[in-house]
Amino acid sequence: MTAALAVAPTTPRGGSPVRPAAGPALLAAIVAVNLLGFVVPVLNLLRLSFLKVEATGTLRETFDLSSWQAILTDGFYAGLLVDSVRTCALITGLTLVLSYPIALLIHRCRGTIRTLLLVLVVTPLLTSAVVRTYGWVALLYDQGLVNGMLMALGLSAPLRLMFNTVGVVIGLTEILMPYMILSLLAGFGRLDPRYEEAAMTLGASPWRTFLRVVLPLTLPGIALGCLLTFVLALSSFITPKLLGGGRVFLLATEIYDQAMVTLNWPLAAALSMVILAMFGLALVLYGRLVRRIG
Amino acid sequence: MTATDAPGHLAIRGLTKRYGGFTAVDGLDLDVARGELLAFLGPSGCGKTTSLRMVAGLVPASGGRIVVGGRDLTDVPTHRRDMGLVFQSYALFPHLSVARNVAFGLEMRGIGRAEREARVREAIALVRLTGKEEHRPAQLSGGQQQRVALARALVIRPQILLLDEPLSNLDAKLRDEMRIEIREIQQRLGITAIFVTHDQVEALTMCDKVAVMNGGRLEQLGPPLDLYERPATPFVASFVGRINQFRARAAGGIVGLGEARITGAGPAEGPVEVMIRPHRIALRPASAPVEDAEGRLNTVAGTVARTTFAGDVLHYEVAVGDAMIGVEEATRSDAGPVAPGTPVRLSWRPDDTLLFAAVARDGRMRP
Ligand SMILES: Nc1ncnc2c1ncn2[C@@H]1O[C@H](COP(=O)(O)OP(=O)(O)OP(=O)(O)O)[C@@H](O)[C@H]1O
Ligand SMILES: [Mg+2]
Repeated sequence: MTAALAVAPTTPRGGSPVRPAAGPALLAAIVAVNLLGFVVPVLNLLRLSFLKVEATGTLRETFDLSSWQAILTDGFYAGLLVDSVRTCALITGLTLVLSYPIALLIHRCRGTIRTLLLVLVVTPLLTSAVVRTYGWVALLYDQGLVNGMLMALGLSAPLRLMFNTVGVVIGLTEILMPYMILSLLAGFGRLDPRYEEAAMTLGASPWRTFLRVVLPLTLPGIALGCLLTFVLALSSFITPKLLGGGRVFLLATEIYDQAMVTLNWPLAAALSMVILAMFGLALVLYGRLVRRIG
Repeated sequence: MTATDAPGHLAIRGLTKRYGGFTAVDGLDLDVARGELLAFLGPSGCGKTTSLRMVAGLVPASGGRIVVGGRDLTDVPTHRRDMGLVFQSYALFPHLSVARNVAFGLEMRGIGRAEREARVREAIALVRLTGKEEHRPAQLSGGQQQRVALARALVIRPQILLLDEPLSNLDAKLRDEMRIEIREIQQRLGITAIFVTHDQVEALTMCDKVAVMNGGRLEQLGPPLDLYERPATPFVASFVGRINQFRARAAGGIVGLGEARITGAGPAEGPVEVMIRPHRIALRPASAPVEDAEGRLNTVAGTVARTTFAGDVLHYEVAVGDAMIGVEEATRSDAGPVAPGTPVRLSWRPDDTLLFAAVARDGRMRP
């Protein structure tokens, strides 16, 4: 049996044309792409964060700790980190609450309706985030649609919906919803209507069925969606920049400013490493959670 | 609990389900007495699952009433119906252990921890799964999962237990064991239960009564013996047990079959469906002496066309006129198989001849 198996792999079995020998080759390609596209640039960034920069923006190839010193001692950066994480956590939570019912509905639909709903979810991804952000500007500014309606209903002064955290949260939540919905759907595999029916025959009201059966079975999707949304929120800068109007300070916008405006590349590089560390942390948390559920 | 209008513990009246223009269940009427096990038996797609799901409240009925213990439950939501349902696919909660699965219904009923744990332990012991409490459903075999599903439905002591083909995923041996087990538990606890199956052996061996369904309608409701010996329709006759079936014409209560004239219970005039169970027919060589001196049996002459030896029984196909009649005889050590081509005499009791008025081949047939 073992001998037969040892010989067998040269013939494709079970309809799979991939020969075992192709495995390492395929892996090598992935490793190479990752090395060139991710590991090397990150290492380069790490090196950059320890360089010295002149006021003019000129880099000098000398070892220097001032960027890291600024991040670790200047209260501004600690505050920035806390604010960013808090804002992004809020965005993630809102996105989850708004996306979950939609994902559940799509999961339960079949046929044409399901396809149609999925197309509706994916369509916004075909438009750039810049365009969608300007869309929100048109809706949220003082004379925009939302305020126009509110004033018509008797509001005396326009609500400040832009150039503050509110605007950033609204904009990013909407922009990230498709990612959340798709992640949720990907993680809803274990949810079968029969489990809900079983719960109901055992005396569970619809609400308790949701809490005790639906929610636990969709936790993998929730974890995946939250991870993805949080990471995307933390790294987006166009929407915070436009809807924050320079008054909302987040890690990503600060990195952009340091790199493109102040031309302090070492500080930008060091802040990038901080964001990367946050991603790593989120990933570890996700891994823990998934193992717990699994 | 007025026993005036609802003789059964569970009474189903005119239960109907329509999907668009298609009627999946058509005016189902039946009663199940307290502590009785009733089978829904019928071919695939005849509406068994749909009926059961309407009783459980998982599918809204298009018409009709469901009454349990005198209380009309037709518009009561599932979670307040107090019915245990065992699904064909078990539907055990994959994220909960065996014990938590079984405890679920008790938790929903707000039963205290001490009593809950005692009842869960008892239910798990009842289905002989002690020691598996902390396993996840995915770690159990099909038969074990099936027993957990049964324990989960039984532990809440439901008014009605509904089982939807609970044994169809099991191998033959396990199925036999589970049949006996389910029947024993149901009788011990005195639960009123409906057992859905498309396996006639399951329905006949396990259940007090059998409801034979076809095309969304109830064909016949009765104890297994009645169904077998006195089928109300040709469908029931052919679905329950094996049977010979052929067309003939009756005149004055006599049916012509080949050269012979036979009698049976059924319509006296016109075209009829003649049905005879193969093992109720005795086959003798034409040369053998006639045993039926008084002529009380139906006797026809024919020629053996095919002989099949199957160990316990011999299957014969005998040409009688232009009809082909199947005969089954137990094998014997003192007489070998009758060879094809041998002229034979077939005889059987007139009571074993079932006659039904014949209608168009594709139409529904009524006695
Ligand atoms: N949601 C639905 N929409 C339309 N038709 C349905 C629906 N559910 C069931 N049916 C139809 O109703 C009929 C009865 O289905 P049901 O599931 O009750 O059959 P069954 O007797 O349980 O069959 P089986 O033995 O194969 O399980 C079938 O013809 C089926 O196609
Ligand atoms: Mg069914």
